[in-house]
Amino acid sequence: MKTPKPALLGLVLFILLLLTTLISVRFGAVNISNQEISDALVNIFSGKTLLDLNHRIFLYIRLPRVFMGILVGATLGVGGVLMQALFRNPIVEPGLVGTSSGAAFGAALYFVLGASFKIHLGEWTLPLAACIGGIISTAMVFYLSQSKQSGKNSVISLLLTGMAINALFLSGVGFLSYIARDPQARSITFWNLGTLSGSYWEGLFFVAIVTISGLLLSLRYAKKLNALMLGEEEAQLLGVNIKQLKMQVLLINVIMVAVSTAFVGVIGFVGLITPHLLRMISGSDNRILIWTGALLGAIVLTASDITARLLLSPAELPIGIVTSVIGAPIFIALLQKTNYSF
Amino acid sequence: MKNNILLLLFAFAALSCDRFSNKNEKEENQQRIVCISKQYSEIIFGLGAQKDIVAVDLSSTYPPEIKKLPTIGYHRALSSETILAMKPTCILHDNNIGPEHVVKQLEELKIPMKVFGKYQSTIEGTDSLIREMGSYFKKEVEADSLCKKMNSEMQTALQKTTNYKKKPKVLIIHFGRASNVYLVMTQKSTAAKMLEWAGGEMAVKDEKGMKQLSPEIVAAADPDIILLTDFGYDKLQENNEIEKLPGISATKAYKNKHIFRIEEHDLVYLGPRTGENVLLIQKLIHPDENP
Repeated sequence: MKTPKPALLGLVLFILLLLTTLISVRFGAVNISNQEISDALVNIFSGKTLLDLNHRIFLYIRLPRVFMGILVGATLGVGGVLMQALFRNPIVEPGLVGTSSGAAFGAALYFVLGASFKIHLGEWTLPLAACIGGIISTAMVFYLSQSKQSGKNSVISLLLTGMAINALFLSGVGFLSYIARDPQARSITFWNLGTLSGSYWEGLFFVAIVTISGLLLSLRYAKKLNALMLGEEEAQLLGVNIKQLKMQVLLINVIMVAVSTAFVGVIGFVGLITPHLLRMISGSDNRILIWTGALLGAIVLTASDITARLLLSPAELPIGIVTSVIGAPIFIALLQKTNYSF
Repeated sequence: MKNNILLLLFAFAALSCDRFSNKNEKEENQQRIVCISKQYSEIIFGLGAQKDIVAVDLSSTYPPEIKKLPTIGYHRALSSETILAMKPTCILHDNNIGPEHVVKQLEELKIPMKVFGKYQSTIEGTDSLIREMGSYFKKEVEADSLCKKMNSEMQTALQKTTNYKKKPKVLIIHFGRASNVYLVMTQKSTAAKMLEWAGGEMAVKDEKGMKQLSPEIVAAADPDIILLTDFGYDKLQENNEIEKLPGISATKAYKNKHIFRIEEHDLVYLGPRTGENVLLIQKLIHPDENP
C-alpha cells in the first residue's frame, strides 16, 4: 500500500477530529441546538453571567468533557506510540508498565480510606492519589527490572516486571473493592471503567498543560526512538544513550498517563490500537507517528465518548466499556491481517 | 464479520434494557420532578402525588407501576446529562446519591434540589417524613391516612410479638453475588429492626449493615429460619438448588424447610408498608402462630 504524505494524513485526521468534536459537542442526553450553542458562546465571551440552563449545561458539562476526551485520547495515543517504540514490541500500551494499575490502586485507596486519612484537598484529592499511585508503581517497575550486574533495564525484564507489578496493584484494587462498603465499591468500579462525565475546567487546564508539554517533549525524542527501533547496539553506535532515553521517555509517558488517568479513570485499548492503525497507514517513522498518534487517539476517544453517551441515552455507559468493545474486535482483525512470530 | 455481529448483538441487548427505554411522556410546562430515593418514591406513590414525577432511580421498584417511568440510573452512579435530559424542575434525593462530581455539577448549574428532613430510621421518624412529604405535595389528608395505616399495622404486629413464646434465630441473606460468599444483613441494618419488631433475632451479630460471610459462619450460626432476598431466591427456585449452597444444608432452617423468599427493598428502608411487611415477616418466622 502506498503511504500517504504526512501532511495529507495530518489534514485528514484533523478534519476527522473536527467532525467528531462537532458531533460530540452537539449531541448528548440533553438536546442543545446549534442556536443555543452559538448563543452560549456569544454570551460567555460578552461577559454575560445569567445564562439559560442549556447554555450552562453546554459550557460547564458538555464542553469540558469534549476537550477532556480530546486531550486524554491524545495522551493515550502518544503514550502507545512511545511505549511500542521504546520496547520495540507491538503489544505494549501505556498501562503495561504499571501506570494504570498503580493509579487505580491510588484511587481505590482514596475511595476506601480517604475519609480516615482526613486529607481534604477538595476535588484534587482523587487525582493526586491516583497520580501518586501511578508514579510509584511505574518507579517500582523501573527499579525492580534493573539488572544488578549491568544496571540496565532490558525490554523483557521491564515487560515481565510490569506484568507482575500490574498483578500486584490490581489485586490491591480487588482487595479494597472487597472490603469497601457498597457506595465505595461502586465508586471504584465506576472509576476503573473510566468516565469523562466528571470533567471540569480547572482539571482540564491542568491536563492540557501536561498533555501539550508531553507531546512537544515526545517529538524531541522521535529521531532517537527511530534509531532505537534498529536495535539497541545500532542505536548506541549512532550515539544514542539508551539508558537515558528509556528513563526520559518513560518519565514523560508516566506523567502524561498518570495525570490523565487521575482525572478520567482507567481507559484501555486506545493506546494499543492507535499506533497499530497508524503504522498500517503511514509506516513506522516516529516523527510522524507521535503527532498523528495524538490526533488519532483524540478521534478514537471522542468517537467512543459519543457512543457511550448515545447508545443508552439518556443513561450513559462508562467509556472504558466502549473502548474495549470497539477496540477488541479491531485489534483482533489487525492481528489476523498480520503474521506475528516470536 | 463475527465481531460485527457480536457488536450489533451487544448494542441491541444494551438498548433493550427494560427500564432505560421507558418513554418520557409528561407534557411540557408541568412541574417535572426527578426522584432519586426509593423511600421517597414509595411515599409519593402512597400519597397519590406521582403525577409530576418524570423519572426515578433504578432502585425505586415499588409500587409495580413505578417501573413504567423512565429511570436515570442507579442512585450512586448518576450522570448529570441523564438527569438534565428529563428537564427537571426539581430533584428529590435523600443525600445518598453519587458520584460526588455529579452532585457538584448539579449544584453549580443551580438545579433546584430538595431533601426532606433527616429523621431517625424509626416508625416515629417515618411518620414525620410521610407528614412532611404530604405537606410538600399538599396531600395532608392522604399522609394522615398512610400514617394511621402504618401505625395501626405496627401496633397489631407488636401486640402479636408480645404473645410469641419463642424468638427464632433468623439469617437474612442477600444472595446474588459470588456463589459461595453470602452478603448477610446484620445488627445495624433496618432489616434487623424489622426482625426484632416481628419477634425474631438476628442469627449473626455484627455491627455492620451488611457483611460478606463465609459458608462456615452461616453453618455455625445455625439459624432456625433463613430469609433469602428475591434476586437470589428467584434464581435458585428454578432448579430447587437451595441445598446445594455451601453451608446452608447444615442449618436447622434447611432441615425444617424454613427457607423463605423476601423482597430485598422491603427490608432496607422504612415506609408506609413497614407495618404490613413486619406482619409478613411474622408469618414467615412464626409459622405455627400464623397459620
